[in-house]
This record gives sequence, structure tokens and C-alpha cells, in this order.
Amino acid sequence: MSTQTSAPPPAKDHAQTTPERGESLGARALRAVLTQRITLLAVLIVVVLVYFTVLDVGGYLTAPYDPDYLSASLINAVPLAMLGLAELLVILSGRGGIDLSVGAIVALSGMAFGFMYGQWGWPLGLAILATAAFGALCGALNGFLVAYIGFPALIATLATFYAFKSLAIVVNKQSPISTPPIQELYSLTRSVELPVIGALIPDVPLGIFTFLLPTIVIVWLLLARSTYGRRLYAVGTNDVASLWAGQPVRGTRFAAYAMAGLISGLVAVVTVAQFASARPDAGVSGNGVALPAITIAVLGGVAITGGIGRVAGVVLATLLIVWLNAGILLAFVGNEGSQYQLLALGTVLIAAALLNGFAGRRYGVSG
Amino acid sequence: MTTSAPAPAKPTPTAAARRARVLPPPVSGQELVLVGVIAIMWVVLAFTTPAFATAGSIQPLLVATAPIALAGIGMTIVIITGGIDVSVGGMMMVCAVLTAKALVGADLALPVALALAIGVGGLLGLVNGLLIAYGRVHAIIITFGTMNLFLFIGLQIFGSRTVNGIPSTLQFFGRGVAGRTLGVPHAFVLTLLIAALAWWYLRHTAGGRHFYAIGGDPQAARLAGIDVRGRILAAYVVTGLLVGLASCFLIAQGTSSLDQSVGNGKELAVIAAVVIGGTSIMGGRGSVPGTVLGALLVQTVTSGVTQLGWPSQLSDLFVGIFIIVAVGADLLRERARRRSLRAKGAAA
Repeated sequence: MSTQTSAPPPAKDHAQTTPERGESLGARALRAVLTQRITLLAVLIVVVLVYFTVLDVGGYLTAPYDPDYLSASLINAVPLAMLGLAELLVILSGRGGIDLSVGAIVALSGMAFGFMYGQWGWPLGLAILATAAFGALCGALNGFLVAYIGFPALIATLATFYAFKSLAIVVNKQSPISTPPIQELYSLTRSVELPVIGALIPDVPLGIFTFLLPTIVIVWLLLARSTYGRRLYAVGTNDVASLWAGQPVRGTRFAAYAMAGLISGLVAVVTVAQFASARPDAGVSGNGVALPAITIAVLGGVAITGGIGRVAGVVLATLLIVWLNAGILLAFVGNEGSQYQLLALGTVLIAAALLNGFAGRRYGVSG
Repeated sequence: MTTSAPAPAKPTPTAAARRARVLPPPVSGQELVLVGVIAIMWVVLAFTTPAFATAGSIQPLLVATAPIALAGIGMTIVIITGGIDVSVGGMMMVCAVLTAKALVGADLALPVALALAIGVGGLLGLVNGLLIAYGRVHAIIITFGTMNLFLFIGLQIFGSRTVNGIPSTLQFFGRGVAGRTLGVPHAFVLTLLIAALAWWYLRHTAGGRHFYAIGGDPQAARLAGIDVRGRILAAYVVTGLLVGLASCFLIAQGTSSLDQSVGNGKELAVIAAVVIGGTSIMGGRGSVPGTVLGALLVQTVTSGVTQLGWPSQLSDLFVGIFIIVAVGADLLRERARRRSLRAKGAAA
């Protein structure tokens, strides 16, 4: 790791620091695309946008693939990107860090939020704070098991996934909470016109500003501009070395899991607002949200071995998947589209992972 | 590993002694504890609920254990090599729907249907194995990807409908009278036979020990002359084959229809059974009997919760607690073992 840069350097930067002399522009571009995940994702996003716009112009889509549609589809990016960032924190912490329980935390904290705001009539702000705290508590249980007892993360979070999922369903006897205050929350997910430049660009879903952007900024500040961030990268890269360097390895790792729980608690509020109901199976129905969140993180260049990964990668990966999914929905009739979304997600993930390996061998970069 | 020590001076007794030292004891502590826990649960359930200790309750329990245990045998091998396979749920869906459709459309005979399901499973396992062994990407990433691909294939074959009117060809493995001999379900017996075979292979053959060697240290295994890629490929293919057979059990257990939730979340249930059985997720350590006991434990919890009249979703909470307790106990034992080793090293 080079230490002079203040931003967390991904391992791929090694290649970038030593460009071979006399390399042609094309070769340099190819190297950038292959070794820098952010560049690759940006290129892929452009490819997706151009491809579907061409399809749209050709009249092959069932509805226009225009800026308004793209902007409206961003509402799907809110939970996905937030949980992707939660996984980023946890995976960064190293030693096989992963959190399978985020979906179950979303379900359980969603029910907690339903009780506090929908039934006990707490003020909204207090209820949101308490829900986030509740999520953090769930995450702290994971962190305690992993960091202090030494459970493999996959096992600890698999166990808590089962436990939280079960509690969420049992706590209100399998029924959702959708009292009037909860139903009115749906307005949180509406689209708004931005001040000043609002007339020029399409309306943007409110959840982007109230939940997603603050989370992105805070996680970025935490990782790229704080001591804690440096420590997390160090612990994830080599926890034995960090320990000998006098770093609080356990506390750092514990905090990563607690924060992932906190973000999941916030996602719970978003999900309740989206459904206009606190559903006990939110976040765990079907395949759940944990697996897509991990997929997003990996696609965003987070190394599953820990210590490598950036906020920008996760955000770009989310945009890619959300806009790709939005396009696929228009390209097929009925629920064929949602099936092809699975195909797209799987293909993109495997291709990106294989490409990583290939780039590593060709340019001598790890990862 | 079988290849470490130099040639002994007195071949016969030392070889036997070395073999005894190298191999772990035939029954591990974790397995004994599991047997005890399952026995206690069965006794308690037998006293508290009148219906539990009857054939009508035990037989379905054994039948329901079979597919998870079967897929768990493959998963045990995969996890021993240090990998993981989260795509088994998707695989189960593809195998089940393809076989069900073939049964409806062509009215296959039992062996043909079995061969079809197992063959398709093996093929899907081969895809996983090739990508993992030759792509040099961590197994969890590849199988997350293939999970999505398999779900896509499965849903495409379903064609957004359920498969109805499946003939009772597979009832040999089902819950009904046709699925039992002398009161013992065929599905469970077959699972036990395959488990015994896998146990013997992993414990007493060089090929089996290679899996442990790879899980312990792949570099060292390669330098010791083990075909690491080939072995890893084999682990995923075997998992695919077993999942194929398990999906036949799933079809047989259901009614004559199959809906799109088949295989849903099964990957986590299978992994839960494996880790409760004492297999280390870090690789290099694990046993097949433990996995079968783990699957039986999970199924006992599910069945017990239902019979006690509690909400059935509560069983997941107990499964979670069992995972924590089982793995936690294993962690403590491992820590104690390492401490005693260190003490011995200091004394020497």
C-alpha cells in the first residue's frame, strides 16, 4: 500500500503508479479499464445507457428509456446502495468478513419501527433514530460474535440471519403493521423537483436526498478521511500486523459490524416507507436483499479477502445494476424481465470477477 | 495428510501407529454431543407431545431430513477444501423443475428420471467447478453469480407457472407407503448409504485425504503433488450430482405439483446443517456423519416446534441458536487444543 495518498488506495493503483514508457494511448486506456474497477464500471454504465437508448429509438422497448424513467428508477438504488455500503464496511474488515444478516436486520428493525411509529405514536425523528440504534444493536451482536469471540463471519451472520428473521415474523404474529401514520410515510418516496436547477433535470426521488446521499457522504468521510477508516483498511489488510502496530483490532472490526447494522436499520425505514407497511418478511422474502447487496459490493471492486474497496465503486456498481435492470424491465413483456435481471446480475458478477483475475495476471496486480 | 513422515524403521507396527495418529478419531466430540442433544430432544418431545414418538411423525421427519443431508454431504466436501457453494438452492430448482417437466411430458421411468436429475446436477456442478478451479476467483463470488444464473434457468423452464400433474414415478422416495420398507423411508436409507460411502472415502483413501490437505494449505498440497484443481473440480461436481438426487427427493415429498419456491433458501439450510455438524468453514476439517446429524437436528427442531403448537417460524430462531452454540463449542475446544499443544511445545 502506498501511504502518501490520503484517499484509500485500492491495490490496483500499483499498476497505475508505474505506467510503462512509450505505451500507446489505446494500450493505456485498456490498462485503465482492466485494472481500475471504477473506470470499468463507468464504461459499462455508458454502454448500458447507450444500448438501451438505441433500443428505445428503434422502438424495441415497451416504454421510453429517458432521463425521467432513469431518475424514477433511482428509488431502487436507495436500499441497494445503502446495503452495499454496509457490506463494504464489513468485508473491508477482513478475515472473511461478510454479513448475511442485513436482510433479516432490515425485517426486524422494520417491525421495531412499525411498533414505535405506527402503534406507540412516537415522533418520526425519534422513531427513525431509535430504529437506527436498534439496527446497530443487531449489528453489534454480529460484531461481538465475530470480533470478540472469534466466530467466522459467515457462520455468525448465518445464525443471526435465522434468529432475526424468525423474531421479525413471530413478534407481531406474522402480520404486517400498516396503521395510518405508516401509510402516510409513502410520501417519503415521492419524487421532488430540485430547487434552482429543477426545471432543467427530471424530478428525483426524495429518498436519494434524505437517506442515500447522507449515508454515502458519511461512509466516504469515515473511510477516506478519518483515522477509523485508515485503521479499518489496515486491519482488513493484515490484522496480525495491525495488532502488533498497537491498533485496536477487535474494536475496529466490531464497529464495522455495528455500523452495517445501523445502515440496515435506516434501510428498514426506507423499506417501510416504500411498502407503506412494516412487513415482517421485508428484506428476507424470496432470495432476500443480503445476496444482492454482497453482489453489488463485489461488483464494485471490494475484495472478499478484505482491505480493498471504495465507496465510489459500490455507488457506480449500484447505478450500473439499477439502470441495467430498469432497461431489462422495458425490453421484456411481463415478468420475463425480472428473470432476465437475474441472468444479467449473475453474468456481470462472474465476468467482472474473472476479468479481475485476468487483469491481475496480465498486469501483475493482485486482486 | 498421509505423506508427511519419513519411512519408519519397523514398518508394520509403526505404520499402524502412525495411521492412528494421523487420522482423527472415528467419532468426534461434536458428533457425540449432537447424538446426545438429538436424543434428549426426542425424549423430551416424546413426553411433551403425544404425537411425536409415533411412526407417523418420525417417518416424515426422516424423509424431510434426506435432501438437506444429501446436499450437505457434497457441501461438506466443498467446505473441507476451503470453498463454499451458495448456488445449491438454484441448482435444486433447475434439477427439480427439469425433472418434473420431463416426468409430466414424457412419463419417464424411475431410473431415467433419476439419471436425468443427477446428470443435470452434475453439469451445473461442473460449471461451478470449472469457474472456481480455473478462474482463480473465490468460490463464494462465483457461486453467488451462478446462483443467479441457475435461478434464471429454473424460472425460464418454469415459464412463470407451476408444474402440475406430476406422475407418482418418484414415490419410491416419498412420504407415502410406497416410500418405505419395513417402516423405514427409502430416501433416508439411501442418504445413509451415500453418507457411509463418503465417510469411508474421505477418511480412508488418499483421494479423500487430498480434500483435507487442500483445505489445510492449497500451496503445500500442490507442492506435495496433489492435483489441486482436479480435486476442487471434483468437489463441486459431486455436490452437483448429490443435489440432483436431492431434488428428486424434493419432488417425491411434495404433492403432484411443484411451485417456483422450490429450493428457495436451501443453500443456507444446507450450510447450517454442515456447520452444526462440526465442519470448519475455514477448511481442512469436517466430517460427513456430523453433517447428517446436523441435518437431523435442524429437522427435529422444525418438527418439534410445529408439534408443540408454537409458531413454525420460531424454529429458525432455534436453528440460529444451535449454530452459535455448536460452532462456539467447537471454537472453545479448538482454543483449548491449541493451548495444550503450545504447552507441550514449551515443555519439549
